[in-house]
Amino acid sequence: MISRRSLTRTNAVVAAVVVLLLVLPAFGSDFFVRFIMTQTLILGLMAATIVFLTAYGGMISLAQLLLAGVAGFMFGNAALSEGARGLNLGLSPWVAVVFALAVTTVVAFLLGALASRTTGIYFLMLTLVYGVIGYTVFAQVVTISGPSGITSIVAPEPFTEPVNLYYAALVLSVLAYIAFRAIGRTNFGLAMQGVRDDPIRMSSLGFNVALHRTLAFTLGGLVAGVAGLLNVWWRKQIDPASINIGPTLAILIIAVIGGISYFEGAWLGALVYVLLNTYTKSIPLIDQIGLTPDRFNTVIGLMVLLIMVLSPEGLAGILERLSRGRGLGKPTQHSVEPPTTSTSPVRTGPGGLQ
Amino acid sequence: MAPDATAAGGIDGGDTSSVVQLSSVTMAFGGLLALGGVDLDVAQGQRLAILGPNGAGKTTLFNVVAGDLVPTQGSVVIKGVDCTRLPSRHRPRLGVARTYQKARSFPGLTVADNLYLALVGRRGRHMSLLWPGRVGRDLRDRARAAASAVWLEDRIGMRVSDLSHGQKRQLEIGMALATDPDVLLLDEPASGLSRGERERLTELLEQLPAHTTLLLIEHDMDVAFQVGRRVVVMADGLVVASGSPEEVQANSLVHEIYLGSEAHT
Repeated sequence: MISRRSLTRTNAVVAAVVVLLLVLPAFGSDFFVRFIMTQTLILGLMAATIVFLTAYGGMISLAQLLLAGVAGFMFGNAALSEGARGLNLGLSPWVAVVFALAVTTVVAFLLGALASRTTGIYFLMLTLVYGVIGYTVFAQVVTISGPSGITSIVAPEPFTEPVNLYYAALVLSVLAYIAFRAIGRTNFGLAMQGVRDDPIRMSSLGFNVALHRTLAFTLGGLVAGVAGLLNVWWRKQIDPASINIGPTLAILIIAVIGGISYFEGAWLGALVYVLLNTYTKSIPLIDQIGLTPDRFNTVIGLMVLLIMVLSPEGLAGILERLSRGRGLGKPTQHSVEPPTTSTSPVRTGPGGLQ
Repeated sequence: MAPDATAAGGIDGGDTSSVVQLSSVTMAFGGLLALGGVDLDVAQGQRLAILGPNGAGKTTLFNVVAGDLVPTQGSVVIKGVDCTRLPSRHRPRLGVARTYQKARSFPGLTVADNLYLALVGRRGRHMSLLWPGRVGRDLRDRARAAASAVWLEDRIGMRVSDLSHGQKRQLEIGMALATDPDVLLLDEPASGLSRGERERLTELLEQLPAHTTLLLIEHDMDVAFQVGRRVVVMADGLVVASGSPEEVQANSLVHEIYLGSEAHT
């Protein structure tokens, strides 16, 4: 059972971090704010949708980056007017935002409706297939992208200013974090957790399991689409390689590093990922042990391995245990036993579900 | 005693309208015939115990009635609605609640949340993304009352994964009873309970509202014969005997296939 004291402590830490992030531009370097932290918040938001689907619904999705990419590509197609690849619809930026999110939501609903019939490893593989298909579509259909993607994308005002984009990513991350946690106590969120634990029982109680899974996937896709918009505004371009298998797995790895049953872990994992990706290349003499810049994935792989050995609950789980004065190998007081069905692969933690 | 398993007559001989009607229900799993054409007619308020050895088809029959299985042939009518091909999720709207042979609940949620979900399943608003308001508070109150009814009031905040086997069984019964069902299907509810818990369970089932129709699979004869006003005996996917508990206990065929000398004790 999750203690109120634990929740209060989690909330206090999260609030303190948010306050710190709010004032960060005042004392942090431009590079750290505009590159490290903006990227961290965007990747964390994407990874949070994986946590949302996994922790509540038992659905480990590898399609979240695809859905983010759909939003990015659709924004590029809708907002650009001339001389660019894509449809060049020339819509105003905010109409393009609505268009991109609408298309993403419809795509997420359709993909979710199909995937909702599967569970466990089959769901994972199907969403991976979605990612591969999505990459192929955007790489080959020149009408909407082509292999070189869409460039010269400009964010709507006021997000052309990097600091404003940082704040947008921060605000949206905080809103998503609060919303995801709050949903866990609504009928929809409780039903998702019921579906995660025993879909047959949920059906016998009167719930439409397939529709629940579909709508959860759609909601996750919508938030991933928001992250995709931020991403395309930050990068100012999008190409099919950015939604290929490598980056797709990176989002899952971020969620695993942070702790796939902790919403806080999504942003924590993203921070570690971005820091490693940025700074391991410049560590003195690191190339002497074979870790050249193009071997970043080796560093990440070792990191994931280390975390899995120490705690499958990721960094958030490790921090929680340490804060409780428990050893790394001991179970937390409120961890649940692995649920009985294949659709329930996750543990649940304090920040994750209450 | 009629082997056609017509179980008419309410608990007090009152309402005799059929609530559950099975006609020639056949269920085949490949070459295995689990149900070989079962006819069953259960009246409102009836307390029907279904007995039979392992493999007789009792749980398959429950799964067909509850909508977890679509019969190969035959029809299932509940409260006048043909439910033969309706998925199980439509049953609660008809007032049907069930438990499973192996207790099924949601181990990642608390006892209170499990009971709450059972109530939401019956009451609707499944997709609400809003925090439950007054209606939600009412359902939470009912969930607490349901927990008390199955002696789990001091476990209401615990995760189900931390409950004992017997407590999980109690919770499942509580989830079924919480919805105030018109048709209650209990699959071996006394399994895994201590003697004292079985006695309390029997008492609880005897206190069910008169309008509640009960179909009970139970291997514990004390519970089955005390709760059941009518008894149906199954063997090899067929109904082989039905009648009052006394009639069934006196039936020589039943002695042969199931009860043995136990009936005489």
